[in-house]
Amino acid sequence: MTTATVSRWDRFRESFLWYSFKRDKVAIVSFVVLMLMVLAAVFAPLLAPADPYDLAQINIMNSELPPAGLAGSDPAFPLGTDAQGRDMLSTILYGTQVSLMIGFGAVVLQAALGILFGLLAGYLGGRVDAVLMRIADVQLSFSTLMVAIIVGAVFKASFGNLMFGEIAIYMLIFIIGVSEWPQIARTVRASVLAEKKKEYVDAAKVMGFSTPRIMFRHILPNTLSPIFVIATVQIANAIISEAALSFLGLGMPETQPSLGSLIKSGFDYIQSGSWWITLLPGLVLVVLVLVINLLGDWLRDVMNPRLYKG
Amino acid sequence: MKKLITAFVGSMVLTAAPVALSAEATKELKMAYDADPVTLDIHEQLSGGMLQLSHMTFDPLVRWTSDLKFEPRLAKSWERIDENTMRFELREGVKFHSGNQLTSKDVKFTLERLKQSPDYKAIFQPFSELKVIDDYTFELVTKEPYPLLLNTATYIFPMDSEFYSGKTESGESKSAITKHGNSFASENMSGTGPYIIRDRQQGVRVEFERFDDYWDTESPGNVGKITLTPIKENNTRVSALLSGGVDFIAPVPPTDLERIKRDEDSSLVTMSGTRIILFHMNQERVEAFKNPKVRQAIAYAINQEGIAAKIMKGFATPAAQMSPRGYQGFNESLTPRFDVAKAQALMKEAGYEDGFTITMMAPNNRYVNDDKIAQAVAAMLARINIKVDLKTLPKAQYWPEYDNRAADMMMIGWHADTEDSANFFEFLTFCPNAETGAGQYNAGKYCNPELDALVNQANVETDRDKRAAMLQEVEQRLYEDAAFIPLHWQDLAWASKENVKIEPVLNVMNFPYLGDLVVE
Repeated sequence: MTTATVSRWDRFRESFLWYSFKRDKVAIVSFVVLMLMVLAAVFAPLLAPADPYDLAQINIMNSELPPAGLAGSDPAFPLGTDAQGRDMLSTILYGTQVSLMIGFGAVVLQAALGILFGLLAGYLGGRVDAVLMRIADVQLSFSTLMVAIIVGAVFKASFGNLMFGEIAIYMLIFIIGVSEWPQIARTVRASVLAEKKKEYVDAAKVMGFSTPRIMFRHILPNTLSPIFVIATVQIANAIISEAALSFLGLGMPETQPSLGSLIKSGFDYIQSGSWWITLLPGLVLVVLVLVINLLGDWLRDVMNPRLYKG
Repeated sequence: MKKLITAFVGSMVLTAAPVALSAEATKELKMAYDADPVTLDIHEQLSGGMLQLSHMTFDPLVRWTSDLKFEPRLAKSWERIDENTMRFELREGVKFHSGNQLTSKDVKFTLERLKQSPDYKAIFQPFSELKVIDDYTFELVTKEPYPLLLNTATYIFPMDSEFYSGKTESGESKSAITKHGNSFASENMSGTGPYIIRDRQQGVRVEFERFDDYWDTESPGNVGKITLTPIKENNTRVSALLSGGVDFIAPVPPTDLERIKRDEDSSLVTMSGTRIILFHMNQERVEAFKNPKVRQAIAYAINQEGIAAKIMKGFATPAAQMSPRGYQGFNESLTPRFDVAKAQALMKEAGYEDGFTITMMAPNNRYVNDDKIAQAVAAMLARINIKVDLKTLPKAQYWPEYDNRAADMMMIGWHADTEDSANFFEFLTFCPNAETGAGQYNAGKYCNPELDALVNQANVETDRDKRAAMLQEVEQRLYEDAAFIPLHWQDLAWASKENVKIEPVLNVMNFPYLGDLVVE
């Protein structure tokens, strides 16, 4: 037996995941694009020519300059400027960072809540199951946007705008995370129901392991693949929800624009010549969500046991 | 066939005969403003929106023509009796919407109500009384010789005294004026104007219908029904016009002027305006604003020309004072003073080098690009380390906040009600006094009794040159003191479908006389 000398990396290279990834061009391209965007967003402070959050750096006289190559453009602003004179390239980089942070943050929160409640409901069953799943039903019957709008408006009114600007990003993570947890909880519960009747669970029970240990150490690892698939799709959903909220004026403040609030701020100008203020961040948003969804699709195919084992 | 036509024309002539020239008011007009009236009580709030409503549902004693002359409306004629008294002859046979006849006592009732109104009382403060001579003759008496008597009479829209007298079911007086409350007058209306409000859902739609017994049978107006829809988003409002959803829109955002000009089915009317847009700095809320150096620093930090050129697309005149060119108070020597280095130096001198944080509020559907202007100002203040917590609100929510002076810097736009400089000072820079109504819209709490006295003196000065010199001195001293931050005079623009002839009914006050509107 050589298992002891096989590193994790070797195991990964021999896995079906890597095997199918190498053969799927769409997945490779999506992954590369996503990584580029993530890296660009993470290193935005180093890459961006200007700091769009620093109001003192923007000058109204530079407003609405077109992207490079068009008449009237300024080489200092390769993607042009918005209506207040912010550099579009820097603003899009920072905006992508905000959007990604909200997307990942919201999904981590969703997953934490969803896995915990899903495991409890599925494994314990009975009254706990009934109560948790009814809560999830109630939660699902409100649309995410509606809950987010109400909570956002209340916070905005009680904290004032400046304060809200500072905590807006955490607020959005919280709002989107909390309002979407039932999606994950239901998936987890369904997997747990299938798993808990298997022999290894009985064996663990017979050995006298505690309920939390069985839940988290034995059942959870076996329910992870659907969670990965759904989490990927949920990241894309969270980014879209954030963009929608910002577009409605309830998300990130205009002084710290995310992709959604950038699209909104250019909306007044789209038919009056300055199309780039809305179109460029719009394109970035579409590409970002598209590659995440394509990766999610690929992951679903790979992780579906019926497709490769059957 | 020919017979039929002759019969038809004949019957037309017959029906048209008794109402002389009056056109059959059969046309429908759908219009979109950026906001709808906040109340139906025309004395509750002194604002452009309320005066526009007044011109639709009421009639003034006299009104401005588009070349700034007086045109008799409910007052048929007037003559000066002595230096403090003007005698007016009222038009006979004018009916209110309720069916009551207009007489001198209605005008007296209206003037008394105006003197009660917190917003209007400062304008009507020079008037001591209204003497009723008979049903159709009255005299307006001022305390001292008042050169702007007729200008002020354009704001007297006689109300139906019988309709607005008595008690409501809940025991409140029907004539009561309640700010942002539910008074009888804020929900019911009876005027003499060309239109009656048929249906009103605040924020959604107001429907007007032509008043059958309208006194002005010579008015060419042929619009029988008007639907006013508020559309806050600039882009949406313009699209509504271009797609044919509405026939008339105001205001037209500067970014879309070209687009409308290019459209063959639409016509655009622009005028250079006299409405000043400015920011007040509240000295009671922020200690630093008491220091004239800080106020000057802010004045130096703001780039009025940049805002006018970029955000307003040249559709505004950068301002350094309140009086526009042509007003007596206009002071040629005052120009915008944008200089960031000087502003930073002044902040340092004042001991606020590290800056401070303030709150700012501005409406987002009242003035042209108001929210974008506020954002730009916030960015300019960041250069001198003043951090701004900016909140923009729709005007229905903004004015209550404004009346509470809810932020450290607040935006207001002002059009001189009397077309005279003194009106700016009386409302925007006089020491606030709830009793006289002085400084009613002075959200800066700036107070300089010396200047107030000078303006009051100018108000009784009948020599034009002397008066102009006094008013210009006031502008000069306000500028030196940086009492407020003027931004620009906003130009005006309206757009309509080609068949809606708006040009003849428009004026620089932005009170479209929709009663006279002709739709082809």
